[in-house]
Amino acid sequence: MADIEIEIDGNLVSAKAGEMLIAVTDREGISVPRFCYHKKLSVAANCRMCLVDVEGAPKPQPACSTPINEGMKVHTNNEKVKASQKAVMEFLLINHPLDCPICDQGGECELQDVAMDYGSDVSRFSEGKRVVVDGDIGPLIQTDMTRCIHCTRCVRFGAEIGGIMEMGGTGRGEDLKIEPFLAEGIQSELSGNMIDVCPVGALTSKPFRYELRTWQMNSVSNIARHDLTGSNIVTQTYKGRVKRIVAKDNDSVNETWISDRDRFSYEGLAHENRLLSPQIKVKGEWREVSWDEALEFAMRGLTDKVLNTGEANKLGALASNTATLEEFHLLQKLLREVGSENIDYRLNIKDLENTVTLESNIKLAGLEGVDHVLIIGSNPRLEQPMINHRLRKASLSGASIDVINVMAFDFNYQLNSENIVTPNQIAFMLAEVLKLILQASNAEIPEALSKIEASDTAKQLADRLLDADNSVIILGEHMVNNPQASSIAQLINEIAQQTNSTTLNISATANSMAGDLTEFVPGKKGLDANAMLATGLKAYILLDVYPHFDFHHPAQAIKALSKKDAFVISMNSFKDEAVAQYSDVMLPIASFYETSGSHINIEGKVQSFCASVSAPSDVKPAWKVLKVLADLLQLPGFHFANSMQVTSEISNQGHKQNVSNKKLDIKVKRSVNVIWQKSPYAVDALSRHASALQATKIGQMHSASMNKATAKKLEVAENDNYLGVPVSIRESVANNCVFVNTNKPIRGEL
Amino acid sequence: MNEVCFKNLDKKKCYSLKVYEQSGGYSIWRKILKGELTPEEIIDELKASGLRGRGGAGFPTGLKWSFMPRNASMQKYVVCNSDEGEPGTCKDRDILRYNPHAVIEGMAIGGFVMNASVGYNYIRGEFMEPFKRFEGALKEVYKAGLLGKNIGASGVSFDLHTHLGAGAYICGEETALLESIEGKKGQPRFKPPFPANVGLFGQPTTINNTESFASVPEILSQGGQWFADIGVENSGGCKLFSVTGHVQKPSNFEVPMGIPFKDLLEMAGGIKKGRKLKAVIPGGSSTPVLTAEVAMEMTMDYDGIEKAGSMLGAGSVIVMDDSTCMVATLTRLAHFYYDESCGQCTPCREGTGWLYRVLKRIMDGDGKADDIDLLLGVSDKIMGNTICALGDAAAMPVESFLRNFRPEFEYYIKHGKSMVKG
Repeated sequence: MADIEIEIDGNLVSAKAGEMLIAVTDREGISVPRFCYHKKLSVAANCRMCLVDVEGAPKPQPACSTPINEGMKVHTNNEKVKASQKAVMEFLLINHPLDCPICDQGGECELQDVAMDYGSDVSRFSEGKRVVVDGDIGPLIQTDMTRCIHCTRCVRFGAEIGGIMEMGGTGRGEDLKIEPFLAEGIQSELSGNMIDVCPVGALTSKPFRYELRTWQMNSVSNIARHDLTGSNIVTQTYKGRVKRIVAKDNDSVNETWISDRDRFSYEGLAHENRLLSPQIKVKGEWREVSWDEALEFAMRGLTDKVLNTGEANKLGALASNTATLEEFHLLQKLLREVGSENIDYRLNIKDLENTVTLESNIKLAGLEGVDHVLIIGSNPRLEQPMINHRLRKASLSGASIDVINVMAFDFNYQLNSENIVTPNQIAFMLAEVLKLILQASNAEIPEALSKIEASDTAKQLADRLLDADNSVIILGEHMVNNPQASSIAQLINEIAQQTNSTTLNISATANSMAGDLTEFVPGKKGLDANAMLATGLKAYILLDVYPHFDFHHPAQAIKALSKKDAFVISMNSFKDEAVAQYSDVMLPIASFYETSGSHINIEGKVQSFCASVSAPSDVKPAWKVLKVLADLLQLPGFHFANSMQVTSEISNQGHKQNVSNKKLDIKVKRSVNVIWQKSPYAVDALSRHASALQATKIGQMHSASMNKATAKKLEVAENDNYLGVPVSIRESVANNCVFVNTNKPIRGEL
Repeated sequence: MNEVCFKNLDKKKCYSLKVYEQSGGYSIWRKILKGELTPEEIIDELKASGLRGRGGAGFPTGLKWSFMPRNASMQKYVVCNSDEGEPGTCKDRDILRYNPHAVIEGMAIGGFVMNASVGYNYIRGEFMEPFKRFEGALKEVYKAGLLGKNIGASGVSFDLHTHLGAGAYICGEETALLESIEGKKGQPRFKPPFPANVGLFGQPTTINNTESFASVPEILSQGGQWFADIGVENSGGCKLFSVTGHVQKPSNFEVPMGIPFKDLLEMAGGIKKGRKLKAVIPGGSSTPVLTAEVAMEMTMDYDGIEKAGSMLGAGSVIVMDDSTCMVATLTRLAHFYYDESCGQCTPCREGTGWLYRVLKRIMDGDGKADDIDLLLGVSDKIMGNTICALGDAAAMPVESFLRNFRPEFEYYIKHGKSMVKG
């Protein structure tokens, strides 16, 4: 688009032909009031607040929907414009309750702000005002629709960004009501953004209701660590507590949006279940002690058990994937300094030989531009909401998306094909695809693939990968415990190489990328998580581990850690019965937003953050605890005054996990496969303690889905318990597969 | 009288294909199918005829048709607006009832000119009888092989669908109508982009009124100049006027443009016995009201009515005699627009309700001295600030009623009752 010149209020301004006028005035810093316009949403032009005077046009024109032309002359503040804008303001206010003193939006209300400039101090409206009866639309969003000014930002958000039109306008004229179409209320995983886009107090945060005024709080930028995006957020704090979280713009990461998990998990910080003081176990009894005493106890335990006996290789460190980059680094450094390579953060994987490479060079924003996507084993909407948002954008701009899953999920974009196959058929299907791709380029067909007869489905999948110029293959969480994960990984790598596709592994979430980068995995002589527990070590340092949720086989893990001769140091932010059972020392550590550190997102972007609040009570940031513990152990190289010094020590040595070259296993077996997935709001301790999130439908996910045939085979009926989870019989699950999605502690094996 | 759309009105079964063809119907369409007419010739003829959009806006039809990107490769549409909802208008209903084939032929011709192979006729939800008539006529034409794909191996295709509305006045607004056909809530779109570029299903679309389409075949048969000569300067041809209200014989009249109002009143049998003419709304409820004196001097054409201070609109002449309370009339009109506002944009959603409530309060005897200024102020603030013309339609009567009959409003406010007995 060519640059053209237009005149605004007598000044020449250059802009791009076809741009909307409001984009130009915004860029030039010329104030034009608006309510319905939002830079990330389609133009609605319904509030009429942005009316400006365009020379030659008989009527005032809305700046949001007026494309600019060469030589256009615009006035944004002459008498005609002011009259129009004041007129609109008066209309907006006549039926608005003007209940600012009891409205949560007060102080951050666009209507309030604009009314200061364009409103009148006395209303000429003496008729009865409109009152709208509110329905309950769920635990996250508080409605007060009498305040609604019908700008439809929330409606457009749902239709355009959320991908499900949950809010809509019913009725007409004065009776136009913005409300959810369904009685179930709002269920989108991105719903909280409607609060951000609502210009008035019609949609506000329910957990934050009546808490504070915006001006009473401090705003501190931070990074959300629940997923692979690392969404930029603003934590709003009051007297040392996080009271609310809102999105912060960052076009290359989360644009203007954040997931509900990022927005509402903060509630967990104030949960009564926080571990608040250091404790040591003496003769089987827990005793609250000072930090000095606790760390001394920990140090002595380590020294007596393993260090002084020359058995450093009997010490292991396990961390959850929510640890910060710095915490990962310090803990692995401590272990390696004392001479142990038993280090791992991959706690939920049954077969650690079979992991999949994490390397990917695609950028989040770049995902929007791909022309083909193959998703394998993932429900990306709930696993990685913001990555899914980019995929949705790609789809809207024409990308074709194929899915190979064990169950049909509710995607919020058009799928080219949705292939529902049993977990142990995935490898075979990919082998078919690979064979076709190799055939297409007349490459040699490996022995393992020679006997395969490719199906039509595989042919279509292969053709689309071959046709695409810019395709990406995505591996999701359901891959983690697939018995053929290693073969699947090999096949995908080969397919990606042959078709010039990028791979994107979203199977390990949160800050797993940092775990990888800091080499928080066993070295050559070290044991991985499973081996440590199977062998039985003499001492463990556990960083924010909650066994019932984090290990692939909780019961076995707890048993191993509970062994009499094992000395266990647990650093946790929340209390946990199992932790109390097996630990000898419990050290309370800071949770999200209470510590400084760094998160690495899927594209490898390191985002550092400061603590928004200090940790409550006697709780300390884990990096400090680790530093002091190292000092007590008299280890060299731990002279850090702040976490930034730790960050700068970490060099990018990118631990690359090797894809094993084991023999391909593509045999289709007839046994029943169980795929476990934690409910999206049960992925980390903080989310699990956030009450509003837990009350949502997504938070309540707790079912073992299987089809009729599988249920018959397993001799279970609807609502029976299977592995402690109620059975839900639906035909959308692949045969011979049980898909368990749960928000409860896991019994049995992942 | 009755030379174009109502040409066959006095014939038996005038709505049948047989009668229509006997009077020369489909001769233009057949010529087109034989390749004897070009789009350019048709547009020139229409421009010469002076035909202006009969739905109310009066935009020259020939010019409108020439705006369509006819050579662009994408699907294009022609749409007929038969959602006749303006209070006082009932002409399109009778065209659909008595001459549906003229509409079909007009739309087919339009489709050919604009290279649009699909048309939709959007018929008002309450028009069950006209809807069935039109559907019946469509069946006849398809059976006769005059519509469809590659008609008679001519290379010309035109398919026509009927779409029945669901009773919303706003769907008479052309872009709300398009939304409605698309299955969405009837709400006007903001412009630009205009339907000629982004219309039905996002494709270039031309929307014309029923009467406009129905006039096209006769214009092309008789020649543009013939049509232009029927009317007066700047208002070519004849026009259907729906004369309703306090007249002896309310009816639709197809008369030459420029006819004096008093002649039209005469045709309708004059004012009811013993009554005097008080006021006239000449173009449908949204056009400004005129006093008897002004109306009796007025000619019925675009310029004549504009000179008198109102608009030709859709030619819906509402005649009121001296038993009419203007406060009650305006209140009723205000209620209509309040009820029919789609609610999408602020001034109309909030303003129409405000206007109605103030008028209702006056009617209830609770009027205040400054209510008249308030009404004028509110209508002025709606005017020109909305997405579509419904806001203007709601505002214009208020201004004209208060300008022409202000003493009646002042009396009502002061005394709590109407000054009109009857």
